[in-house]
Formats: sequence, C-alpha cells, structure tokens
Amino acid sequence: MIINQILGQAREESRLVLTEIEAKQVLGAAGINCTDTRLAADKAEALTLSEQIGYPVVLKVSSVDITHKSDAGGVKVNLADRAAVEKAYDEIMASCRRAVPAAVIEGVSVQPMARPGIEIIMGMIKDPSFGPVLMFGLGGIFVEVLQDVTFRIVPLQPGDAAAMIDEIKGKKLLEGFRGQEPVDTSSLVDMLLKLSAFVEKNPTIKEIDMNPVFAYREGALVVDARIILE
Amino acid sequence: MMDLFFKPRSVAVIGASRNPKKDGNIILQNIIDSDFSGDIYPVNPSAEEILGLKVYPNVKDIPGEVDLVVLIIPARFCVQAMEDCAAKGVKAVIIEAMGFAEVGPEGKALQDQIVKIARRSGIRVMGPNCTGIVSRDITTSFFPIKDVPRGDVVLIGQSGLLAAGMASDIVVNRTLNINKICSIGNKCDVNENDLLEYFGNDPDTAVISLYLEGVADGSRFVPIAREVAAKKPVLLLNGGRTEAGAQAAMSHTGSIASNQRIVEAALRQTGCIKIDDFTEIKDIAKVFSTQPVPGGNRVAIVTAAGSVGVVVSDLCAEHGLEMPRLSSPIVESLREVFPPNMEPANPIDLWYTIEQLGLVKTLEVTLAAPLQDPGIDAVVLILAGFDYTIPVLEQRTVQKITAKYGKPVIICMIVGYNDYKNRIMEELGQDLPVFTSLDSGVKALSKLCAYGMRKRQQI
Repeated sequence: MIINQILGQAREESRLVLTEIEAKQVLGAAGINCTDTRLAADKAEALTLSEQIGYPVVLKVSSVDITHKSDAGGVKVNLADRAAVEKAYDEIMASCRRAVPAAVIEGVSVQPMARPGIEIIMGMIKDPSFGPVLMFGLGGIFVEVLQDVTFRIVPLQPGDAAAMIDEIKGKKLLEGFRGQEPVDTSSLVDMLLKLSAFVEKNPTIKEIDMNPVFAYREGALVVDARIILE
Repeated sequence: MMDLFFKPRSVAVIGASRNPKKDGNIILQNIIDSDFSGDIYPVNPSAEEILGLKVYPNVKDIPGEVDLVVLIIPARFCVQAMEDCAAKGVKAVIIEAMGFAEVGPEGKALQDQIVKIARRSGIRVMGPNCTGIVSRDITTSFFPIKDVPRGDVVLIGQSGLLAAGMASDIVVNRTLNINKICSIGNKCDVNENDLLEYFGNDPDTAVISLYLEGVADGSRFVPIAREVAAKKPVLLLNGGRTEAGAQAAMSHTGSIASNQRIVEAALRQTGCIKIDDFTEIKDIAKVFSTQPVPGGNRVAIVTAAGSVGVVVSDLCAEHGLEMPRLSSPIVESLREVFPPNMEPANPIDLWYTIEQLGLVKTLEVTLAAPLQDPGIDAVVLILAGFDYTIPVLEQRTVQKITAKYGKPVIICMIVGYNDYKNRIMEELGQDLPVFTSLDSGVKALSKLCAYGMRKRQQI
C-alpha cells in the first residue's frame, strides 16, 4: 500500500529519484530492515525526533534537488546530544543553501547512528535482455577498488542467494576474520530474497542501491538506500 | 512445432539452382544425400528439373503440403517469398540469405518486415544469415556435407565457422559424436531458447553446446536453461561484449554491472557450463559425450614423465581439482610393478615400469589401480607418440580398461613423433577425449567434475 503511494507520488511530481526516507519506507514495507529514518521540517522537529529515536543520531539534508548530500555538506553523523543536533542542523542548512542555492529543501532526515557492522552493498539494475538483476558484494573500499560483487537474475531461488554470498572473493570477512564478529548470512539471504520478490512485483523501479548494508552477528540493516524509477 | 524444422515430411527450396556451384544446388544435394525420405520441391521460375526433381515456379504451385521451406534467394526477394509461404500455409522457414540486420538499418528494415509476416501468419523463422541444420535426417546447409553421425551431441551457433568449418571437420574426421548442428544466424525469431527447450526434451540429445553472440531473451533463457541444465549438460560460449545496459545507469550497482558479468551470472545460476574458446565447443562436448559423470573432483594422474605430472598437479589445483593420496591397497597393488626403491604415489610415475613391462602391461596395472580406488573420481592419463605406445592403440588397451570402471579418463598427449601422435589422435581420439595441451585437458575435466558435483548436490 505504502509502496504504491510513494511510487505514485514520485510519478505525479515527475521525479525519477526517491528521497532516502521514501526509499527506506518502500524497502521497509517490502520487509527489508532499514534504519528508522524520519523527516524533520525544522530544527524543533529535528530535536523532538532525535529525542524519540535516541542519541547518537545522524542528520542528512532532505531535498530531491541535492543528489550528492555529503559533497554539499548535508550529512552530519554521530550527534550525541541536543546541542550537537542544533548545531548540525544550522550547519547543514547554511552549507546546502550555499552549495545548491536553487534547491528546495524539505528539511532534514533524522536516523539513529547505526552500530558499525561488516559493510555490504546490494543493488538492482535492469539488463536489456535479462531484465532485473541483483548485485551482492562487500561494500566500502572493497566495492570501490576490487568490485568484489556477484550477480543473479531475478527471480532468485533460495539457493541462488546463498550462492551469491558464497561466491565473493572476500567471503572470509563474513566468517569472522581477525576477531571481527562473524556475520549472520541467513539474514543476508533473507534480505536478497525479499529484494528479489520486491523487484519482481514493482516493474517501474529501474535501479536500486542499498549501500551500505551493515551485517551483524545477528541480523542486517540497510543504512542508506537509493531508488531510481523508470 | 520445432519438429517441422528437424523432422519435416516435405521440404521446398526456394532458389534451387541447376548450377552445382550455387548454394541453391548444394542445399538440394545435401537434402538428397541425407536420410530425408519425404517430398523435395525445388522452386525456381526458370527451370523444369534440377537433380532429377520436378521444379515449381512458386511455392504456391506445389500440390502437396510443405512442412519446411529453405529460402536461398537474395534478401530483397525474401519478403515476397515469405508472403508466398504464408499464402501456401507453410509454418517453418529457414532464411539463409545474408543482407539483413547484420549489414545495417536497411537490412534491419527487411528483417523487421519478415518478422511481421511471420507473426501474422504463424510462421517460425530460423535465420536469416544462417545455414540452418546439419543432421542425418536433413541438412539444409550450403556447404556440401553428408554421412552425419547419429550421435548424442547438438551444437547450436551463430557462426559460419561453426556451421561450415567445424561441421565438416567433425563430420568428416568423426571427432565428435554429433547429432545435429544448428546455425541460427540473426535469430530474428527462432533463438537459443527455442532450441534449448526442444533439445532439452529430445531423448536423442545428451549434450548441448552453444556459441552465442549475446543472449537474445535473457529473462526467458534463465528458467529454460535452468530446467534443461538440470537434465543434461549445457555448454555455452558467449562472444561479444555489449555495455549498453550499464552506460545509462544512475546507480552504483549499474556502474559495476556489465553485460558479460550478467551473462556469467546467468550461467552460474542456471547450471550451464561456461566455455571460453571455439575449440572447447567440441572438445569439452566430447568429454561430456564420452565420459561418465563423476561424483567428485579427486583426480589421479598417470604419467610416463615425472615433470609432466608436476605441471598437471599445478593445473589441477588451479582448476579446482584435488589430488589426494592413493588409498593403501591401491598403493600395494602398484608396488608390484614399481621398483623397490620407489614409493608409488599420485602422480603415478610410469617410466621405470614401461621399460620393464612395456606400456600395455604397465597400463593394465597402473591405470586400472586408481580407477579402482574409492578415493579417486577421475584420471588424467599422459601419453606420448612413440614406438612403445603403438601396441596400446592396436590392442585398444586404454578403451578396454576405462570401459570397466565407470570413471572418467581424459588423455593428454604433448610430445612424440607426428606419425604416432596422429595415430593416437585418430584411433584413441575416436573413443576418448585426447588433448594436445595439459591445460585444456585438465580444464575440460574440471568442468565435468564441477557438473558432477552440482548434480550430486541437486539429489
């Protein structure tokens, strides 16, 4: 329900890119575990939401006109108290107005500072012949430098998702390398299968990035997400 | 439906020619030379009789039903010929002419017209820009070819090299137990999915080997290939890289995905076997066609030269094959023919034994031993083209031993005199896969073992 509502609204506004909040709401409705991310229209609301969510929090500028939020100074992380949130809010607004003066800024998104985990990237792209294809890999520098990722064609069968995780070169990092916690691969399998089912049901979505996803000893969490429509 | 192509009851050749050098004559001759026993109708407005067959001015003038039409006329006449076929009620057409989508927009427009007529009239079209079918039942190629074996391997390709060069090589030299070779050209209608589905259900086909320049309809390919590959080995060489999908991408995912990576993913996902070279289309198909599928990847090496054993061991590791120790009863049985100061091991080094006993007696012990070892799934046998090898060929020693144990054996032969090497290739190579490089042999075996292990997981 909420999926159609959000996709419909974006179409009405002739937007091809969903905001981070929208993307997470859509994925959340598909059963994919995302950080609780909410929109604050002003500073007061940002403070109220931060209190509700619990410190430390992350503030990000929310504007469909600002694609590269970090570059515009629109992201502040690890905000530990009221004072930090107030200061971050002011800085984000000043910096973004300076960087993209024409941008319509609807406010800031507020989300809890996720506990660090093993960084994973998941995504979807459409191939002209094969249709929707899912990607899975190690995130962070591993995807940037080594492109240690693997692909499968939608729809995925349970064995396909497990095979994707098994296929990456850096698999050892998921098994608890040098004292790091081993990763709950079953929750990653589950996330891939839910993503596959979601993509199959929503043909108007063109591309998805879930980057990073934090993988833990138990469970996994989408920390940032991007959805692009046809 | 596809039976109309492979088992037609009647066939018309539009563009049949009296000139024995012309494609339209060779095709007719190929059909006559095959086991095809139905009616053959040459079509040509300016001839009465070709190769002893009555000629018709138009396909519409043929009195009986026409199951299959082969079009071998210039591209610009093909549209009208398709209309004639539609009027006649023909349901299967092979268009062999060039000059369609492969040459540019004008040709593409002609091809689009053909597809339109086909859809409208319920005609299935193979090609254009192809040679159609090479088989014992019917051959529509415009390269002279006859006596095609009734084997169990089907080759499917988008390539003249495969359809002509490789076809005659295989058929004349009897190097592969072929059943059919299909050249599907531009794939304007019939594509690899149709053929995979058809040969997947064909009891006479045990191995399917494909050369494609891009997968035409990937979203249909995945479920079909998954189903067929679960039943029989499907080998696929994908040539050509297209980056079209990735270029326009806005996401990080899109910037990494390339068509080649996606095709590779589809092969893994469906259980198809990825191959990397034209020679592998037939060489690896031969391994699958002649050798039993092993349950694992534990390999023993039997070699006349120790150094070769060392390199093969390295290659095995590289291709994901294990080389375990031989079990102790097997080591005991080898000790009987080994010198007292030399401990039998894997690789099994034969040199001393050959000098003492000759190669026939040596193999009867040393090749049989690892094949009897429950800890060994497959054997790589290294032979050389020298005098001492000839009795093994004459007595069919290797064939006799390997037939007993139900485990795959591949042979690598890298040195020797040409006369002997050729004999090994021709005589032993008829029945067993013989490779002239260690890497290609070990790689082929690794594909067979990987297939066997995947099969076992499915059960």
